[in-house]
Order: sequence, then structure tokens, then C-alpha cells
Amino acid sequence: MKKTMLNLTVNDKKYTVEVNPNQRLVDFLRDELNLTGTKEGCGVGECGACTVIMNGRIVNSCLVLAAQAEGAVITTIEGVKGSEGELHPIQQAFIEKGAVQCGYCTPGMVLSTKALLDKNPAPNVEEIKEGISGNLCRCTGYQQIIEAVQEAAKRLK
Amino acid sequence: MREFNYLNPASITETLEFLHTYGEKAKVLAGGTDLLIELRKDEGPAGLEVVLNIAHFSELQYIKADDEWIRIGSGTTHAQLATSELLLENIRALAHAARTVGSPQIRNRGTVGGNILNASPAADTVPVLVALDAVLTFKSLTGEREVPITDIYVKPYKTNVRPDELLTEVAFKRLSPTATSAFIKLGRRNALAISRMNVAVILDTDANGNISELRIAAGSTTPKPGRTRTAEAVLIGQQPTEELINEAAKKVSEEMIAITGYRWSTEYKEPVIEALVRRAICKALEVRP
Repeated sequence: MKKTMLNLTVNDKKYTVEVNPNQRLVDFLRDELNLTGTKEGCGVGECGACTVIMNGRIVNSCLVLAAQAEGAVITTIEGVKGSEGELHPIQQAFIEKGAVQCGYCTPGMVLSTKALLDKNPAPNVEEIKEGISGNLCRCTGYQQIIEAVQEAAKRLK
Repeated sequence: MREFNYLNPASITETLEFLHTYGEKAKVLAGGTDLLIELRKDEGPAGLEVVLNIAHFSELQYIKADDEWIRIGSGTTHAQLATSELLLENIRALAHAARTVGSPQIRNRGTVGGNILNASPAADTVPVLVALDAVLTFKSLTGEREVPITDIYVKPYKTNVRPDELLTEVAFKRLSPTATSAFIKLGRRNALAISRMNVAVILDTDANGNISELRIAAGSTTPKPGRTRTAEAVLIGQQPTEELINEAAKKVSEEMIAITGYRWSTEYKEPVIEALVRRAICKALEVRP
């Protein structure tokens, strides 16, 4: 296989890295950049644990080849906190509303929430459900997560 | 994950040149929501050498209309289809169908071209496009061809598309201004679900309320997608009574069994597809202007 040069921005930092053509974005983020907040839950785009924001939209990083991220601007969960390391209001709301149990779905949930609220700052419950419909949680039953999103929306006003 | 080389063509023409050179040894990669899964399973074409990325071609992402046709670029994502004002106004079933695909993450990457060419019987946009008698445009170095969407399907997951061809557009004639459409998807859950069955209905009524146009296309019922014309014929020129709607729905299940025979799933699918067809026809009737 012939390696290919990848230039992209992750969490406001620019990178130029050689990648194998068959390396997925989730592997690149975790293994090359040591950003292990992005999880792999299924590898087939059915759980959303690998969710990242790519060029303003949430995607399953297990279904994007790293090489396809050429020139992309990516936000992972590590990029959500503030510049002084303070938790984002979404993260605070998740913690306070008990929306984090095992935590495995949480990075993806937070990013999907961020993408939702960036586009729709005052979503109703149906819109919240659709916004996080690509993120499976096996622990919470989603109720606390929905409340956390509502709380975050309030705080971000 | 299979090993392959990655090419990032700078133009459609360069893509066609690569397809001409590599033929069956190349796979076109757009949204990757089907292909990457295939590649991880070590499936896909034997002798795969290169993956050609076309996800960056904004010239394949468009939804536009002229007086007669609505044209959609093959690289248009399901998210773009789902939120298109043009589609919501003219053929909302297509926007709705796209909205039911996978999840927001999948819809942000998956394309209508990929949905068509993956040739899953459970594809969500395909029944609507079939009901629309959509026409596909393929480009290659040797030229361009247009083909009705139903012509490309051989069997589940298999099309007769040539290895050197690139799907660039799917287009369909605009419906009458009074026509309405509906799409219903049955899945095992409300999101991140593959269609267990789905159905698209397009209909129009005349001044007396008789059905003047009716198109019905069900998904996940037959190996190849198609309109159920025997069902449509039941209601054309008639008042949409409960009796006739039931009769039309029954024709869809009969057609299904005539094509597939009595399978293990038929006991379930027979009454359920009838119910979905009834509901879709009623839904299309409800939203009449």
C-alpha cells in the first residue's frame, strides 16, 4: 500500500501526517493523535460511539477513511472543553443530570448534542431525540440525556 | 481491513480515466457508509486495487429543477435530500425517505447515488425513485447514457452497471401541482434501522375526487424494485373507497408472492405490506392540497 499525506485540523491544531490508505479516521484519531476520547463501539456505523464533528457535521469516524479527511476541520470530545480547560455547558449538564453512567456513549452524545444545539438552540423533545438518534446508550435509558440536552440549551442561551 | 491504494481524483474526468484504467479493480468511494463495512469484512471485488474518493466533488451535490424535470446529483447526501425545500414542496416522500436513513451521522455522509447502487432491497430512497420512474445518468470515457432506474437491478446487491461508469445524476419528471406523496418505513426501531419493509405512494385526484394518478412501489418485498401496476389499476379512475384501497393493498402482497413464492417471511410480510400500502395511500390522500 502506498501511504498518503493527510493535512487536517483537529481541535484547532493543524496536522500533517502520513497515513495508510485503509486507515479509518477513528483509528487515526485514537492511534496517531492519541485522542482516545473517541470510542469504537461497533465499527459499522450503528452505535455512534465514534461520532466526531467533521466540517460542522456529525459523522461516524469508523466509516470515514482518514485520507478522506484531507483539509477537514474536526472536533473530537477533547476539543469541547474551554481554552482554560473548563467544562463546556453541555458537559456540565450531562454530569449534573446523571446522563453519564458507564460513559462509553458520552463523547458521541456530547458531540451530537453540540452539533444539534449549534444548529437549533431551542430544540423540543422530538428534535432532541432525532439529534441523538445516531447515538446508542445501554445504561441510562436516554431520559437523563434528554434532560441534559434541555439543560444545556438553557445554559447556552 | 482490506489493503488497497487510495486515489483522490481532482475532477470527474480524472475519475472516469481512473475507472477506465482500473475497471473492476477500482471501487468508487463517496459517503462510505456501505463500502467501508464491505471492505472491513474482506468482501468487495476480488482483486480490488484502488479506492477512488469522490466525496469532495461538490459538482455532484445538487438538487435543481426546471419546468419539466427535477435533477439530483449522485453525490447529494441524505441530509441534503431530507432538508431540501424543493423536495419537500414537490415530492416530500423523497425527503421523508432520506430522513429515515440510518442516523444523522449516516445521513451526513451517505449519498443517494450510493443508496441506488448498493442495490439493497431495503434501500429507502429507491422505492420513491422507482415510483417516480426516475432516470439515471452514467458517465464514462466513452460517453454518457441514461437508463430507467429499474433497469440496473439484477438481484439483491447486484447491478449491471459497468465498472468504467460513474453515476452522476438521478432525475425524474415533475409531478402535477396537485399530486401528493407518502413514504412509510417499517423498521425494528425508530432510528438506525434498516427497512424491514417500506412503501412509496404517489397519487393525484381529479376535480371529482377520483384517483387520476397512482404509483405504488414497495421495498424489501421483491428481489428487484418495481411499481405494482396491478395495484395501481384498481384505483385509477375510481373513488378511493376503503374497499378499493384494501383491494389495491392486496394486489401488492399477491404480486410479491407471485414473484418470490411463499417464503419463510411471507406469513409476516403478507398482511403487513398490505397494511403499509393502505396507510401510505391514506397518508397521501390526507395531505391533498
